[in-house]
Amino acid sequence: MSETTTALKLGQKVPDFELEIYDPVKDDFGKFRLQDQIAGKRWTVVFFYPADFTFV
Amino acid sequence: MGCDIVTVSEDTKFVHLAWRKSEKELANVRYPMGADPTGKVAKMFGVYDENSGLALRGTFIINPEGTLFNSEVNFYNLGRNIDELMRKFKANLYMAKKSNEVCPSKWKDEGDKTLVNPGAKMVGKVHEALKG
Repeated sequence: MSETTTALKLGQKVPDFELEIYDPVKDDFGKFRLQDQIAGKRWTVVFFYPADFTFV
Repeated sequence: MGCDIVTVSEDTKFVHLAWRKSEKELANVRYPMGADPTGKVAKMFGVYDENSGLALRGTFIINPEGTLFNSEVNFYNLGRNIDELMRKFKANLYMAKKSNEVCPSKWKDEGDKTLVNPGAKMVGKVHEALKG
């Protein structure tokens, strides 16, 4: 994945990205990949927040 | 509803596991909790705060083709409204099915008034279109 200094723009294709995850349903670690969402024709909501163990 | 949510913070997956298991407020959380300790993904979405190493409160809606449709970013002190997120999500889903309709500002749910085939005939006549 190339480093870019400009943030994504609306209407732009989001470059594929991958995240290590904790999956509460499987109670295990795993991976989230945007390309899997596209392959499955699923909408995706990415929800960033500052830190665990803090207050909403 | 054909949608997946993934939460992301700069914490590692181990911290996510620990938090999910210890905090009762999260007992119903079933979505994957993403770890971005290098900040790579937060930087790509433009929510990485260099001063703190933390991610700002950003929500992004991506359609099934991988196109970014919505973004909302708040500073640390303002939580996002989940009803508003649901509203935006439902609107996106609805308009994906009805490509000739757009959702005006008061749209909340399927069945609310939309603007159908917005075009030259509607210019200057939005009031009538919303009433009719």
